[in-house]
Amino acid sequence: MQKIEIIKITSLNREPLVVEGYFFQGSDPKAPSVAIVGAMEGKTILPLYTASKLVDFLQNSLSDSKKILGNILIIPSINHYALNINERFWPLDKTNLNMMFPGYDKGETTQRITKKVFDAIQGYTHGVILETRDDLSTCMPYVKEFKSGFEDLEDAKKFGLKIIHYKDLKPTDTVSLQYNWQLWETKAHSIVCPSTTELQVDSDEIFEALVNFLNKNNILQHKFLGGYESTIITNEDMLIVKTPNSGIFVPIKKIGTQVKENEVIGQIIHALEGKVVHKIIAPCNGVITCSYKNALIFENAVAFRIAKNS
Amino acid sequence: MQILEIFSSKLPVGEDLVIKKSRFEANSNLQNSKRISIVSGIHGDELEGQYVTYLLAAWLKANPDTLRGTIDIYPGINALGIDSITRGFPLYEVDLNRVFPGGEDEFLPGQLVHALALDVKGSDIAIDIHSSNIFLREIPQIRINKEFSNATLPLAKELNCDFIWIHDAITVLEATFSHTLNTMGTKTLVVEMGVGMRLTQEYGLQLLKGILNLMQKEGIIQTQEVFEVREPFSSEVGDVYYLNSPCSGLFVAALSHCDVIKKDDKIGDIVNPLNGEIFETMYAPHDGILFTLREYPVVYEGSLIARIFGGNDAEN
Repeated sequence: MQKIEIIKITSLNREPLVVEGYFFQGSDPKAPSVAIVGAMEGKTILPLYTASKLVDFLQNSLSDSKKILGNILIIPSINHYALNINERFWPLDKTNLNMMFPGYDKGETTQRITKKVFDAIQGYTHGVILETRDDLSTCMPYVKEFKSGFEDLEDAKKFGLKIIHYKDLKPTDTVSLQYNWQLWETKAHSIVCPSTTELQVDSDEIFEALVNFLNKNNILQHKFLGGYESTIITNEDMLIVKTPNSGIFVPIKKIGTQVKENEVIGQIIHALEGKVVHKIIAPCNGVITCSYKNALIFENAVAFRIAKNS
Repeated sequence: MQILEIFSSKLPVGEDLVIKKSRFEANSNLQNSKRISIVSGIHGDELEGQYVTYLLAAWLKANPDTLRGTIDIYPGINALGIDSITRGFPLYEVDLNRVFPGGEDEFLPGQLVHALALDVKGSDIAIDIHSSNIFLREIPQIRINKEFSNATLPLAKELNCDFIWIHDAITVLEATFSHTLNTMGTKTLVVEMGVGMRLTQEYGLQLLKGILNLMQKEGIIQTQEVFEVREPFSSEVGDVYYLNSPCSGLFVAALSHCDVIKKDDKIGDIVNPLNGEIFETMYAPHDGILFTLREYPVVYEGSLIARIFGGNDAEN
C-alpha cells in the first residue's frame, strides 16, 4: 500500500488540510481498477467509516496481497476540515464539494480541491462515491444512478444492495462527481449511505457490498456472503408519504420494514399540547426505503418513502 | 396597497412560516397594463434588496397617482434564513437559488420556491436583487444569461447600474429563479450589488432610481419626474479578469472601494498574523474597473480577491 498526497492546502489558523489516497497496486496488470471516494461532507459517518474499514481490510486482513488483482485507490475523506467541526460543507464558504466537479485549477478553493481529486481518480475502470441523502431523511443503503446516458446498471447490480434508484438527471447533478466521472468514461456509481452520526450493528453492510463489488469485477479475490439481487427502482415505483401536519414525528415502522396498505406507520404529535394530530398510513404494500430523520417535522414534509411491492 | 401571502407552512412548534408580498396597482383597470415583480432575499445573508424594496414601497405609497400597472414586491423569500443570518434554507442547508422550479410534492424549500415561481409567473418583468455574499463587495451590476439576452439586455440598460455582465448558459444555473422565470416567459434580470449582511444606502438609492426609470419606460408608472440613469459598461466590449488568492492568509485591501485602476496597481496584501510577514502582494493584471473586491479577510488558496473589467486587448 502506498499513501499518495492528493491535496495539501494551507489555512490561516488551522493546520494544513492534507488529503491522502491509499493506493493498492494490483497483481494483475490486465485486471480492471477502481477508485473509491469517501466523505465529501461532514455531519455523517458511514462514508468515512466504510472507506477507512476497506483500507484496513485490504492492508491487514487478506492472507495474500496478490489477491488484489486490480489497482485500488481509496480516498476516505476529502473534507477533514468539515468533519472535524461537524460542518456539512466546506467550512468557510459552505460550498458543497459534490457540486464543484470537474473542478478548476485556477478557480475558487473548492474548485481547486475537486480538480485535484478529479485528476487523481482519472482513468480507473470503476468509480464508487460514498455519500448520504441531501434532504432531511435517512434511508436503507442503495445505489444511486443518474439517467445520464453513461450509466451502467449491470455494473451497479454487483454491489448486491437491495435497491438501485435510477433517477432523472437534474441541472444541479451535472456538477456532481458521479456525472462528471461517467462523462470521463469511468463506470461511476454512488452508494447512498444512511445519514447516521453513530455506528450501528449493521454498519458494515456497505463495506461488504464494496468488497463483493470488487470481487465480481475481478479486482479482488475475496467475497463475503452473497448480497441481494438488486431491484431497479424509478420514481414511478416509489410512493411518497407526506404529513399534512407539522409537529413531533414518531415513526412506528423502521426503514427496511415491509408494511401493509392502510397500516399506521407513524404519528405526528402536537408539539405544545401532546395530542396525536395525524396518523401516517401506508398507502400501499411495500418496503420503507427512507424516513424523515429529525424529531421535529415540517408541514407537508416527506415522512416516508415506500417502494411498492410489485 | 395590499399585503398578500404567497406561501405559508406551519412549523413544528407554534409558528407559521409565511412569505408575503405587497401589491401596488392602479385604481382603475387599465387595458394592456404591465406587471413587474421585485424579488429579494432568496439568500438569507443578502439584505441590500430589502432596503431597495423598502425604498420602492415608500415611493409608491407616496406617489399612488403614478400607478399605471401592477408592482409586486417580495422582500424576503428565505424568511427563516434572513432572520437567522443563514444563506441557505435553515436545516436543509440548501441554496434556494439552486432548487427552482421546485414543486408541490418536494421538500419544504422546493415547495416554497415553487410557490414563488407560480406567483411571479405572468409578470412582464421580474428583478431578482442579490447582494453578492459576505465575502465580496460588488458595484451595482446586472447578470444576464446569454440565452435570454435579446429580451433582457434592453431592460438592463434602464436600471441605472454600472455594469452588465452577460454570461454563457450553464446547465447548473437552470435551477435558478431567473432561468425558471425567463423560461416561463417573464423577462427576468438579476441584480448583484453591495455585500452580504450589510446595507449600502448609496447603491440602494441608485437602484431605486433605475427601477423607477424602467417602470416609467414600460408604462407601469407615469410621472413628470425625470430619472436620469447612468450608461452601464458591458461585458460585450471587454473581458473580466479574475484575481484569486495564491495562498491562504488574511487579506488586507489596499483600496477602499471599487474604482478605476491601472495595471500593476496594488490590490492588497495576503499577510500572516502570526509572524508579521506578507505572504503575497496582489497587483492588478490589467487596466480596468475593479467591480468586485474581497470583503471578508480570511482567504484560502483560490479565494476570489477581485474581478476587473478591462478592455479585450490583452490575454485573460
